[in-house]
Amino acid sequence: MLNIKCPYCGDRAQKEFAYGGDGTVKRPELNKEVSNKEWDDFVYMRKSLRGKHIELWHHISGCRQWFRAQRDTATHEIFKTAKISEEI
Amino acid sequence: MKTFSSLFNIHKKGKFGDFENKNEKNLLKIEELSNLLIFQLVKFKSSNFEVKKIKIDNLNLPDPLKSSSNSSTRILWMGPDNWLVISSDLNLLKQEEKKFDDKNFALTDISHSRTIIEIEGNLTDEVIKKGCPLDINDLKQGDCANSVYNGMSIVIDFISDDPKKVRIFSLRSFGESLHHSITDACLEYGYIGN
Repeated sequence: MLNIKCPYCGDRAQKEFAYGGDGTVKRPELNKEVSNKEWDDFVYMRKSLRGKHIELWHHISGCRQWFRAQRDTATHEIFKTAKISEEI
Repeated sequence: MKTFSSLFNIHKKGKFGDFENKNEKNLLKIEELSNLLIFQLVKFKSSNFEVKKIKIDNLNLPDPLKSSSNSSTRILWMGPDNWLVISSDLNLLKQEEKKFDDKNFALTDISHSRTIIEIEGNLTDEVIKKGCPLDINDLKQGDCANSVYNGMSIVIDFISDDPKKVRIFSLRSFGESLHHSITDACLEYGYIGN
């Protein structure tokens, strides 16, 4: 069983969590002109890295908080987790 | 209009499972709790209000993963700035809501949206382990945790260590499935439905 350390609740089983996608994607600035390409990149285009990756996770059956996790996509090792307001 | 508890037609009284030739004191006891006031208290992220000043039914709001309680009321930590209040005093919300202004807090009465199953007995931990991934040995009286039981989101409130007693909360719509899962897990030990 994979354990994930929630920044609020501590070590919990992966079945309490939901994967939230790439944690590095930034939304285009509000009230700024956005090209179709920029919007397309933001909505659809994702890298599929092998190795360390920063991801969003949601402790959906726990404290219901979003947080970031640094995970190796090949080994599933989780190196670090941090609150959304914190740098990882 | 008449109201029914969520397990009104589901939970049966009596002895079930492998109870024969066993001391009644060692059997698990399963009970549905109803007629309780349940409300959620949330402090908004934009609020700077100091929650340590707040008391509900003379109880402080508990720290993360803890509960605070007196004879009528229990307060459970649900997440950052989020608590669940359970009370047998059905007027508590009306009495307390004046303390919470709309700019800082949201109070929501969810009394009718939850199923509560209380399990008592020495084998309570074994029943929880069958469906829940929590490290149950580390959890004691005064702790509470959100987790899953056979895929259903639940809250577990650890009421007492001796006798071992816990309350499991789920959404009312999952109540029947949760009751089935819990009672099924109890069968090999034998249980008394109260």
